[in-house]
Amino acid sequence: MADSTKKKITVLMVGNPNVGKSALFNRMTGANAMVSNYPGTTVDFTSGTLIEGRQEYEIIDVPGTYSLEPRDAAEEVAVRMIRDHPDAVVMIVFDATKIDRGLYIALEVMEQGMLCIVAVNMMDTAHDKKISVDTADLQKVLGVPVVATTATSGEGIRELAEQIRKAQVADLDKIIKRLNGEIPDKKSVGGCGGCGGC
Amino acid sequence: MQKKLLELEFGERGVVREIRTSVHDLNCMGIRVDRELKMVTKQPIKGPVVVLLGEMQIAIGLDLAAQIIVDVIGKDA
Ligand SMILES: Nc1nc2c(ncn2[C@@H]2O[C@H](COP(=O)(O)OP(=O)(O)O)[C@@H](O)[C@H]2O)c(=O)[nH]1
Ligand SMILES: [Mg+2]
Repeated sequence: MADSTKKKITVLMVGNPNVGKSALFNRMTGANAMVSNYPGTTVDFTSGTLIEGRQEYEIIDVPGTYSLEPRDAAEEVAVRMIRDHPDAVVMIVFDATKIDRGLYIALEVMEQGMLCIVAVNMMDTAHDKKISVDTADLQKVLGVPVVATTATSGEGIRELAEQIRKAQVADLDKIIKRLNGEIPDKKSVGGCGGCGGC
Repeated sequence: MQKKLLELEFGERGVVREIRTSVHDLNCMGIRVDRELKMVTKQPIKGPVVVLLGEMQIAIGLDLAAQIIVDVIGKDA
């Protein structure tokens, strides 16, 4: 049950096309999804509800985009959705086999100063291709929660839902300093990845 | 040897050295300076070229492919 005294929080799922956003969306929202037309456009998007830890979330599956400098109508809608929901949590979805491309849009979103969480999806494919992704390290560098998922099997979905409430505003200056080794690693305590969510 | 991406032969591998058009448009697709790529398909009749970048295949129009300069580093059979 959702706690009706808590305000509903909007979660925008953002990422490159084909990273498994819709598959993750379906896993998180179950059967209550609704397809709508974004006002004044021909672009459809899907929204649904997730209740986690007595908090109700409206999850929006934003059209896939490579960047926030739109190059077509779907990308335009993605940009508008982010602009129209400044208080939303942005769930940035990566394909674990194409991390570098995901990072591009991720950093663009982080520059907007929004609350962020990252899902690294397709972990099964990465594993099959012998690509390993150090999500704990990624979380340390980015300073936002990073969760490994496989939407098709459901692995990691539970944790992803639980981590939404720990979403953080990323600090790009700090990210650069961490990458340059100018900020020493925080001592991790009790399995903490140092996302700062606590 | 430097070439335009457009001029890479089938199976040839190169490293991107220079982007003479919107860097943003190519970067967000994963193509950036120092990235290694391989020519996998050239479509006939001025069709796009398709390059392999890690796990990604990316189709690029001829005009754009003429604006990307690569160092040829080898060729796969
Ligand atoms: N192996 C694997 N396939 C996935 C995973 N997530 C999604 N897919 C598949 O990847 C394709 C694209 O997924 P979709 O959710 O439509 O991607 P979207 O474009 O980001 O919404 C579909 O065929 C999915 O079944 C995953 O974690 N592992
Ligand atoms: Mg989709």
